[in-house]
Amino acid sequence: MTAIGFCDLTVSYDGTDAVVGFNDLLHSGEWLCLIGPNGAGKSSVLRAAAGLVPYTGSVAINQTEIPAASARWRAQHIAYVPQAPVIPTDMSVYEYVLLGRNPYINYFSSETSHDRDVIDRVLDRLDLVQFAARKLGTLSGGEVQRLVIARALAQEAPVLLLDEPTSALDIGHQQQALELVDSLRREQGLTIISAMHDLTLAGLYADRLVLMHEGHRVAEGTAKQVLRSETLAEFYGVSARVHHEADGTVVVIPQRSARL
Amino acid sequence: MNKLTKAGIAGFLFALTATIAGCGSSADTTDTTIAVEATELTATYPVTVGDLTLDAQPMRIISLSPTSTEMLYAIGAGAQVVAVDEYSNYPAEAVALGTMLSGFEPNIEAISGFTPDLVIASYDPGSLAEQLGSLNIPFFIASAPTNLDSVYEQIEQLGLLVGHVTEADQLVASMQTEIDAAVAAVVAPATPLSYYYELDDTYYSVTSNSFIGQLFNLFGLRNIADNVEAGNDYPQLSAEAIVSSNPDIIVLADTKCCAQTAETVAARDGWGGLAAVVAGNIALLDDDIASRWGPRIVELVVAIGEAITKASAK
Amino acid sequence: MPTSVITSHSIGGRDKQPLSFALSGAVVMFMILVGLMIGPAGPQWWRIPAELLDHVPFVSLQSGMSRADWNLVWQIRAPRVVLAALVGSMLSVSGASYQGVFRNPLVDPYLLGVAAGAGLGATIVFTLQRETTSSWIIDPLPLAAFIGALCAVLVTYVVGTAFGSVRSGTTLVLAGVAVTSMLTAIQAFVLQRNSDVVRQVYSWILGRLSSATWGDVRLILPYVVVSSVVLLLHRRLLDVMRVGDDEALALGINVRRVRLIVVLAATLGTASVVAVTGLIGFVGIIVPHAVRLLVGASNRVVLPMSMMLGAAFLVAADIPSRVLASPAETPIGVVTAFIGAPFFLLLLRTRDVSR
Repeated sequence: MTAIGFCDLTVSYDGTDAVVGFNDLLHSGEWLCLIGPNGAGKSSVLRAAAGLVPYTGSVAINQTEIPAASARWRAQHIAYVPQAPVIPTDMSVYEYVLLGRNPYINYFSSETSHDRDVIDRVLDRLDLVQFAARKLGTLSGGEVQRLVIARALAQEAPVLLLDEPTSALDIGHQQQALELVDSLRREQGLTIISAMHDLTLAGLYADRLVLMHEGHRVAEGTAKQVLRSETLAEFYGVSARVHHEADGTVVVIPQRSARL
Repeated sequence: MNKLTKAGIAGFLFALTATIAGCGSSADTTDTTIAVEATELTATYPVTVGDLTLDAQPMRIISLSPTSTEMLYAIGAGAQVVAVDEYSNYPAEAVALGTMLSGFEPNIEAISGFTPDLVIASYDPGSLAEQLGSLNIPFFIASAPTNLDSVYEQIEQLGLLVGHVTEADQLVASMQTEIDAAVAAVVAPATPLSYYYELDDTYYSVTSNSFIGQLFNLFGLRNIADNVEAGNDYPQLSAEAIVSSNPDIIVLADTKCCAQTAETVAARDGWGGLAAVVAGNIALLDDDIASRWGPRIVELVVAIGEAITKASAK
Repeated sequence: MPTSVITSHSIGGRDKQPLSFALSGAVVMFMILVGLMIGPAGPQWWRIPAELLDHVPFVSLQSGMSRADWNLVWQIRAPRVVLAALVGSMLSVSGASYQGVFRNPLVDPYLLGVAAGAGLGATIVFTLQRETTSSWIIDPLPLAAFIGALCAVLVTYVVGTAFGSVRSGTTLVLAGVAVTSMLTAIQAFVLQRNSDVVRQVYSWILGRLSSATWGDVRLILPYVVVSSVVLLLHRRLLDVMRVGDDEALALGINVRRVRLIVVLAATLGTASVVAVTGLIGFVGIIVPHAVRLLVGASNRVVLPMSMMLGAAFLVAADIPSRVLASPAETPIGVVTAFIGAPFFLLLLRTRDVSR
């Protein structure tokens, strides 16, 4: 069962192509990570799927193409976690997670008790219950990250898009966030597409990697297949060693140039 | 919400109300009727002027127009006036009333507080007519005239309304006589003299189509502001235009508002060489007299006549 | 179960909301009553509640008020108080909606050209209408102001969506500034050529409630009601838009459509109000901010509270306007500034102004 499929997705900004002919099929529960240098088109793929930029080609959920006109339908099937989410400082945690229920609340209505149940469950699952009345401005970075994921979960969408989910976190919180996403994926059968800079983490958590360069897919496969020092040197321009741990983890180690 | 803030707000509102309640609603609404001697009641009521019909002689008149105030006092209706506007500074009896109503932003409640039986204004600044109508207070608009005959007509209308028809007729007759005399006393030169009429110190002027301009027309003067701007009777002239047209007479109607005198005019750059400045043919008018159309326009006409005589004599 | 107990309290004091609304409602009613009781002339203040009570069925009370006095209160003072409430409410909810839909705390209901358009319309009418006897069937002044305001916003919208990202609120705001400047320049040009109406135009611009009649109230009531209802219906959507256009879009909101509807509704209401009272300033920016400082930034609460407290505020401000300099009027815009500014500063000092 294809959870999400991209067919010939092309995104252009002012005449420049950010993404060219992107094709992919993910099955339910799969975690795909897009990697690549800045400007490769990773974020653009996610933004196109989230409906934030116009595109040609198609994006389909469970083999139904996303109708261009219905932002609600899209929001019920795709949850987007942006790289730098807007955090209104005096909104409460509860209100923020409530925003995730918007696709299910009628235009002029208020939330129902069902919506409130969903929010309660999400807060409970993400350990945010004691923060429910707190204002967003008082939360730490790690708590905010959990919060944004909570809002995405409240959307009850089968597909989750994460744009640089760990860039602003310390190593401890990075691990927490990714572990959390992974366990949610297993529990609820979520399909995840993330764009990440940290190659080791990407390889550690994703089922499959796609390396993008200037809008095109240039490599694809497991971490072992994609994260090779020649490949990285060619597309990132980085000089790095790739080390394979005993348990299969692929670690990318940037090398300092030999200097005396 | 913080309890303290709530209490503070409630207290603030209460204090505000108490203060205002204490000083508001204390306008004198007692119905003191002014004992009026049987002044020449030479009209029979009811009278009708335009849409307005009065059933009895008005004894509590409010004038929101300085010109109407002057007219009322000049036709002997002064004793019937109970309140005037803030700009009614003539005659002294009007000032002595001590009322400072506004003709531009009328406070309808304050007006009704005087229990008037006739309100006169020169225009309706908002819904004054409607509001006075809903209070059943008669309202008469004595609008700015377009020519001298309208002035006489307005005086007679007022005379009819306030019950002083004879005085009104007499006033009109004397004004006509004096104006005719003033015009006749002036020997018009062969070529008409030109004049520049200054409304304020940014060179706003009037054309000969305006009411004031028509008074000048009585003397056959030429206005340098004519044909400057089609359709605009109150054009703003440029200093260059004024200087290059070199008027024979300069008339200043901004002596009070903008403190202009012959000296200040002479001190303006480029004006020192003007014929009018050199010969001292600068007439100074009282702003109030120049902007009203009441009985004192006679003084205006006389002043113009004197200015011309002086200019011609040179 | 502990979870639901906590969460029901957690939505920013949801249980306190009914109390806040009831309190604001009471403040509005109180203010209206006070407004009716105080004035530069007319019956003693305590007679008025007595007379009002007398009109309640089954209650009979002798207030000792004369017919003329009652006429004054009902025909002159009452429409003024009611108009103040309607105008204050409309300007406040408009300001709050604009601030929500543009995510900018400095916008006010006049932003997109309403003020300049209405001002130009009024100026044109004043210059054309020099004869004091009005020969028009309907009063052209409110009509011209209304049309001017709407046209200005239309031009702003066309200009603002022709360039730049159609979803960008900032572009629209800038277009509004440009259109306002242009219309103000045209108005200045017209005034310069018709300097004898400057005084009337200026006093119109300062805003006034002194010429309020029941006709004015009837005129604007449908627009204010429709506009307010539409804006209130969009409260929750405005809350979603607090996280920015992109995220709101990703959450299923048609940002462009919501923005258009909110701007249209707020403009319609504001234009109608401006048409009869001129440009009363200060209310549309300050009341929503003050409300936010009191009850938090959730638009669900801010919008209705702004309506109520805005009404109370303008009714309160109108009292000194007609009493302070009696028998002259103090322009209402001056009073709103004098009352509003210190009150706002007081609130700022006692509360944290974090958005």
